[in-house]
Amino acid sequence: MKALLILFVTAIVVLFAGLSAKRQTLVLLALGGVLIALGATVSDLLVGDTTGWNEMYATMFRFDNYALAFGAVILLTTALLFGLSGWGFRHLSDTLGDNYGLILFSICGAFCMFSFTNMIMLFLGIEILSIPLYVLAGSRRDNLASNEAALKYFLMGSFATGILLFGITLVYGSCGTFDLQGIASAVQSGRATGNMFSIGILLIVAGLSFKVSAVPFHFWAPDVYSGSPNMITAFMATVVKTAGFAAFYRLFSTAFVDSGEVWNVAIAAIAALTMTLANTTALFQKDFKRMMAYSSISHAGYLLLAILVAGQTGAASAILLYTLAYSIATVCAFAVYMTVAEQNADGNFSAFNGLSKKEPLLAAVMAISVLSLAGIPPTVGFFGKYFLFTAAFEAYPWLIVLAVINSAISIYYYFKVIIAMYFTSDENAYTVSVPVAFRWVMLVGILLIGLLTVSPDTILGLIP
Amino acid sequence: MSLYLILIPFVSSLILLLARPAASRSIALVASLANLAITLFAFSGFNGDGSFNHEFSVPWVSSAGIHFRLGLDGISLLMVLLSNLLAPLIILSSGGEKYHPDARYFGLLLMMLGALNGVFMALDGLLFYVFYELALIPIYFICAIWGGDNRIRVTLKFFIYTFAGSLFMLVALIYMYLQTPGTHSFLWEDLLSVQLSNGAAWWVALAFFLAFAVKMPIFPFHTWQPDTYTTAPTGGTMLLAGIMLKMGTYGVIRWMIPLAPEALHDLSPIFISLAVFGIVYASIIAIKQTDLKRLIAYSSIAHVGLIAAGIFAWNKVGVQGSLLQMLNHGINVVGLFYVVEVLERRLGTRSLSEMGGIGKSAPNFAVLFMIIMLGAVAVPLTNGFPGEFLLLNGVWNYNPWLGALAGLTIIFGAVYMLRAYGLVMFGETNDSTANFEDINMREWVVLGAVALMVLVFGFFPQWILNITDGSVNRILGAVQF
Repeated sequence: MKALLILFVTAIVVLFAGLSAKRQTLVLLALGGVLIALGATVSDLLVGDTTGWNEMYATMFRFDNYALAFGAVILLTTALLFGLSGWGFRHLSDTLGDNYGLILFSICGAFCMFSFTNMIMLFLGIEILSIPLYVLAGSRRDNLASNEAALKYFLMGSFATGILLFGITLVYGSCGTFDLQGIASAVQSGRATGNMFSIGILLIVAGLSFKVSAVPFHFWAPDVYSGSPNMITAFMATVVKTAGFAAFYRLFSTAFVDSGEVWNVAIAAIAALTMTLANTTALFQKDFKRMMAYSSISHAGYLLLAILVAGQTGAASAILLYTLAYSIATVCAFAVYMTVAEQNADGNFSAFNGLSKKEPLLAAVMAISVLSLAGIPPTVGFFGKYFLFTAAFEAYPWLIVLAVINSAISIYYYFKVIIAMYFTSDENAYTVSVPVAFRWVMLVGILLIGLLTVSPDTILGLIP
Repeated sequence: MSLYLILIPFVSSLILLLARPAASRSIALVASLANLAITLFAFSGFNGDGSFNHEFSVPWVSSAGIHFRLGLDGISLLMVLLSNLLAPLIILSSGGEKYHPDARYFGLLLMMLGALNGVFMALDGLLFYVFYELALIPIYFICAIWGGDNRIRVTLKFFIYTFAGSLFMLVALIYMYLQTPGTHSFLWEDLLSVQLSNGAAWWVALAFFLAFAVKMPIFPFHTWQPDTYTTAPTGGTMLLAGIMLKMGTYGVIRWMIPLAPEALHDLSPIFISLAVFGIVYASIIAIKQTDLKRLIAYSSIAHVGLIAAGIFAWNKVGVQGSLLQMLNHGINVVGLFYVVEVLERRLGTRSLSEMGGIGKSAPNFAVLFMIIMLGAVAVPLTNGFPGEFLLLNGVWNYNPWLGALAGLTIIFGAVYMLRAYGLVMFGETNDSTANFEDINMREWVVLGAVALMVLVFGFFPQWILNITDGSVNRILGAVQF
C-alpha cells in the first residue's frame, strides 16, 4: 500500500512539476519516487508485514507477499526504464511531465492488479493500467505509426475490457459475489455451476488473454509494439505483461482453482497456439521491434503454462522469476536497440551490424540479454523456463515437449541479432553514441542477471 | 580441488574477454597449464575404487533440489585429463598469422575449457545440463567469428541442432527429477535410484539418446558435423572433435545408461546398429573425400561410432575400450587437425589433389604425420590399437556379426588414411609443394607432443586402463540390463 500511495503522490507531483521544471528535475523526481516506492516494497517483503499498511482495504486489496513481490519486480523494471528515459524521452519537451505522470498512474493500476481480492478491483486495475497506455502509445504525435498504434490499442483494448466485464458479471450472477474467496467457496459448495458460470470464466479468460497478448487475441500486439515509441514498447513488453500475468494467476489460483474442468482445455489450447504461432511468425520478421513483439507473445505462451497449474506450490514463484528475468533482459535489449536505432531508424536487424566492433560492451549486454530471452543456460532466463516447465510437467508433459521445441525454434530469430552484431560488418559506418545513463542501467541489468543466475533462490523464496 | 579446474578457466576467460590484454595467448597457456598441473596432482592419493574424490557440493537452488556438486571418479578423471591435456596443445596451435592472436578467441577457448571440465565433473543432473549447454556458446562464437566460408549458416545449424537435441535431455531430466521421492533432487545417486516403468524408461532413454546422438554424432544425426568441422577454425575443430564430442559419449556412460537401464535391454540393439552403420557409412564417404579436413571429420564419425557401439555393448571390455579410445581419439584427432592446419597455412588449400611430394622437403613433418596417422589407423604399438581392439572385442562379445561389421573400421581407416598420407607426402611435387618449409619450433612442440603420446599410450595403455578400472567395475555392477 505504501508503494501505491508513494507512486500516486509522485505522479501528481511530476504532472504538475512538468509545467515548469527542467527535464533533469523531472527525471530525478520520477526516478526518486519509484526508488522510494521500491525501497518501501522491498522492506515490507523482507519484514513480512501483512498487517498495518498492508491489510485488506474494504475487502478490495490485500498486499500479501505475492503482491509485494510482483510490485517489486515492476518497480525495479520501471526504475531501469526511468534511468533510460533521460535520453529515451529526448524528443518530448512540454509533455515530459505528462508522460511520467501517465506511466506512474499506469503502475498504480498494475498494483491494483496484483493485490485485488475483489473482481471489481481487477477490472479497475486493468483499466487504470491500460488507459494511460493508450495515450502513451500515441505520444509521438507526428508519427503515423504511433497514432495507428494508439487507436488500435484503444479500440481493441476497450473491446476486450468489455468482454472481461461481461465475464465478470456472469460470474457474479452465478456466485452472488465479486469477492475471490466468496467465489471459491461458492464453487466448492456447488452453487456456482452451469453454463452461465462456465461462459463467464471463458469470457474472463478471453479478456485477460487479450491483455497479455495470447493467441488468438494477440493481433493488436505486433502493430502496437512496433508503432509505439521505443520506451513505451519496452514498458508494455515488460510491466504490462508482468502485471497481466500476476493478475491472471491471482484470479485463477484463488477463485477458479477448483473449476479446472471449465478452463483447463481452453488455456492449454491457448498456450499451445501462442507458443507455436508466435515463435514461427517471429522467424520471418525483419524488423527488430516486431520480432520482439512476437517473442513477447511467445513468452506469454510459456507463462500460460504456469496458469494451467494455478494453485500448485512453486507456480507463482516460477512466474515471478520468469517475469523478472524476462523484464530485465527486455529492458537491456531495448536499451541497446535505442542506441543503434538513433541513426538507423528503419528498425531492421541491420541496425545492429558491426556493433561488436563499435561498442563491444553494448554488444555483450545485448548478447547476454538475447541468450537469457532464448533460455540458454546458465542465464537466469534458462532458470525461469526451467521452473515453469517443472511446475507444469507432471500435469501436461506434452505441452512441455511443445514448449521445449518452441524454445529451440526461438534461438533462430534471437540469434539474428547476435549474427548482425558479431559477424556482419556495417557498410554504412553508422556511429553509436551511448549516454552515460544507459551504461549504468545496462550495468545494473547485467549484474542482476548474474546475481539471479547464481542464486535464483532469493526470488523463489519470496512467495511462500 | 575440482572447483579450481572450473574457476581458473572461467576467471581467466573473463579477464581475457573484458580486459583484452596483449599477451592473451600466454595468459591462456598459463591458465591451461595450471589446470593440467592440478589434474595431474589429483592423481596422487586418488581412490580408484569408483567412489568420488575431491567432491565439492554446495546447494545452488535449495528449494528446487539443485546442487552445485562436482566430483571425480576414474571415468571423470580420465575425461578431465583429456580436456586439460589437450587444452595447452590447442592454445599453442592457435594464433599466429591467421587469427592475429585475439584475446577474445583465447577467452572463449578458456570458457569452453571451464564448461567442459564442468560437464565431466558434474554430479547433479541440472548442473550437468547447464554446463552441457554452456559449452555451446563459446564454440559457436569461435566458429562463427574465425571460421571459413559459409560459417554463419553452418554454425547456426550446428547450434540449433545440438540445442534442440539437448532440450529433450532436459525434459527427460525433469521427468526423472519429479520421480525422485520427497522433495525432489537432481543428485546423481538420487536419480540413479529411481525405478522407471518400461514405457517411461523408453522415453527417457530415447530423449537422452537424441541429445547424445546429435553430439557424438551418430547416424542419422550427423549431418551437421562435416560442415561444422570443415568451416570451423583449427582450434575450434580441435575443441569440437577432441573434447566436445566426448561429452556425448561420457553422457551415455554417466547419465543415460545408469538412469534408464530398464529400456536399454530393448533399445541398445538399435543404438549399436546405428553406431555400427555409421562406422561403415562414414568410412566409405571418407574414402571419397578430397578435402583433408572433411576426410578427418568423417573419420571422426567412424571412430566415435565404434566408441558408442562399445559403450552400448555394456560389457567390461567394451566400456574400458571406449574410455581408452576417447582419450586416444582425442589426442590423435588434435594431431591430425593440426597437420591440416600446417598444410593449409603453407599451401592455402586443403585439397588432396593439390598436394604431393611434401615428404621430400619436409622430412620431420612427414615422420610426425606418419606416427599420428598410424595412431589413427590403430596400428599395434600406437595408441589407437588397444582401444580399437578392446572395443571390437566388446562389440564382438555382444554380437559377432556387429563385431565383424565394426571391424571394417580398421580396414577402411587404413584405406582413407594411407590414401591421404600418400597423396600428401609421396608422389610428384608441384609448384606449391616444391618448397614446402619444414615445421618450425611451435609446430614441432605440438606435433611432437601428440606423436609422443601416440607412442607412449600405445606402449603402455594399461596406465590409462588402471585409472578407470575401479569406476567401470562399479558402474557395471550397479547398472545391469
